[in-house]
Amino acid sequence: MNPSEIATELPWLWSGLAAYALATFVAIWGVAPRHHVGHGTAGNINIDTRQHERLVLGLLLAALVFLTIAIAQRWVRIGHGPWISLFELLMSQLLSLGVIFTLAYWRLPGLRASAVIALPILWVLGTWVLMLDPKASHFPATYYNEWKWVHVFLGKVYLALLLLGVALSGVMIMRRFKRTAVFFTRMPPDATLDKIAWRFMMLALVFDSLMLIAGAVWAQDAWGRYWSWDALETSAFLTWLALALGLHLRLTYRIPAWISGLMIIGIFVLAFTTYFGMPYLSPSAHKGMV
Amino acid sequence: MIRMIRAVASLKVTLVGIIMLSVGAALSYDNRIDSTAWVIVVPLAFLSVNLLAAIFTNPRINKQPGLLVFHISLLGIVILAAIGRLTYLDAHVEIVQTQPFDPRSMMEEYRGPFHAGSLEKVQFIQGPYTVDYEPGMQRGLTFSEVFLPDAQGNSVSKIVGDDRPLILEGYRFYTTFNKGFTVLLTWIPDQGAPETGTVNMPSYPLFDYKQANSWTPTGGEEIKFWLQLQTGMDPEAKWRLDGRNVSGVLVVTQDKHRVELNPGDTLSVKGGQLRYEKLLTWMGYKIYYNPTIKWLFFVSMLSVLGMSWHYWKKMASKPWPDGVKDPEVKSDKSNMQGKTV
Repeated sequence: MNPSEIATELPWLWSGLAAYALATFVAIWGVAPRHHVGHGTAGNINIDTRQHERLVLGLLLAALVFLTIAIAQRWVRIGHGPWISLFELLMSQLLSLGVIFTLAYWRLPGLRASAVIALPILWVLGTWVLMLDPKASHFPATYYNEWKWVHVFLGKVYLALLLLGVALSGVMIMRRFKRTAVFFTRMPPDATLDKIAWRFMMLALVFDSLMLIAGAVWAQDAWGRYWSWDALETSAFLTWLALALGLHLRLTYRIPAWISGLMIIGIFVLAFTTYFGMPYLSPSAHKGMV
Repeated sequence: MIRMIRAVASLKVTLVGIIMLSVGAALSYDNRIDSTAWVIVVPLAFLSVNLLAAIFTNPRINKQPGLLVFHISLLGIVILAAIGRLTYLDAHVEIVQTQPFDPRSMMEEYRGPFHAGSLEKVQFIQGPYTVDYEPGMQRGLTFSEVFLPDAQGNSVSKIVGDDRPLILEGYRFYTTFNKGFTVLLTWIPDQGAPETGTVNMPSYPLFDYKQANSWTPTGGEEIKFWLQLQTGMDPEAKWRLDGRNVSGVLVVTQDKHRVELNPGDTLSVKGGQLRYEKLLTWMGYKIYYNPTIKWLFFVSMLSVLGMSWHYWKKMASKPWPDGVKDPEVKSDKSNMQGKTV
């Protein structure tokens, strides 16, 4: 077997996923209601959240380091970045979503309990990537274009902002049920979460718009047209419209927080399908890629 | 009148417009050939009227510079896209090595009703090209050499390929996967003057297994032939397609007999003689012309700047409500309820 065919990145990938799994477990453990533990103050929900949060942060950082090494190993092995196959797309998203979520987790302590929603979503990607073949992918000639970097970077920030919005939406929805509401007693009220979630959506709209523009410039250079309603372009445009619709709906009607949360989740599902459904349904990200 | 304009400017109308456009986009999904452009044009026109009315009547838009810039830019994008569709040109052309670009040889040509480019001013001569292949016949980089006339009348070489189009007079020439070999033939009739011409063989390596074609010279009968190529192609390894390193034997079937011609060989057929002069290559280009693309980029960026400016003004004074940066600080619920950002 050719040495370049041995997937040396896999142990690092597995380590990264294990760190995410542990972080998920500790995050849930940290907000789960218990009695007579530690020195918390919230009635019978008495836990030392700070210690758990520090551990979650440490595990997230470890996961990011492992995933970075995994991507670097693969890059060296196959000679190009994680741009092509679904295995590569998922691996790079696990890193980029993780980076931005970790930043938010670090800088916004009041929202940390939302890790209970965000980290399992990362694990959906993690489980998926484990089922895929890590074989080397072909790097098409049109992918040498510099605009690809801009397009991909903006897309990653955009999806990560949606993830932050979804995490808060999940909290707003789970608070409607007694059993799950107790996980989020330390978080700000729904009205605040709703406001922040839609701020993330606004930023997502900015990055989504920039991603579409950068993608159009790349498509013009690479395939001789800036827009052609291919599966991925149409799906991305529908997500942009869904974001615009959500923002205008909020301006037009008073929307209860949980419905607002459902809207954000719907937008995320559309974006998720665009990222991971279209490349999966079609052998190439865009028609005419090669 | 004002009341009517306000009704048209309503946010509820905007919601209907966005839903209509979403349906139109969904119908255009994956560039379906049976979908009509009207499913996009009608919602865009509807939204444009709504937006124009809102710009004039809605203080939420016209009193906030960022939002105003964003929404005017959106209108600009729609207008530019419409101008683009009216003035564009989309076509394909196959150009033989050593031959100049000839607009008359364009194929699959679509152009907007007001297309007014200077295609006749586009001048270049096709040179040789190389295409790299990875194992498994995965196409890599294409380097196509073209020769352009400079101000002194000299010929200047330029390499184009893939995402580096040749741009002349606003027309963008993109190399494509469609390329192959050409045989240069001379027909020497029993009576009359000789004529020389080229015959393009099917795309290579896509149709590697059927490099066949035919030619009917003036006053002669149809001559069928196929080309036996030695390109060095190896589907299991890296290799480079380079017409300068390729040899081709022209196999002509005459009266059920197979005759092999090397470059320079002549064959006597009914009505005259056929001389196989030499092997050349041809490159297929996609041609695209749209005078609005630079403006579209500029206006699109302006729209994002406007939107960003608006959000910055909204968020800069207090980026995070109480309780977000510091969980110990409780927020005032009454101040939050029902407010939008």
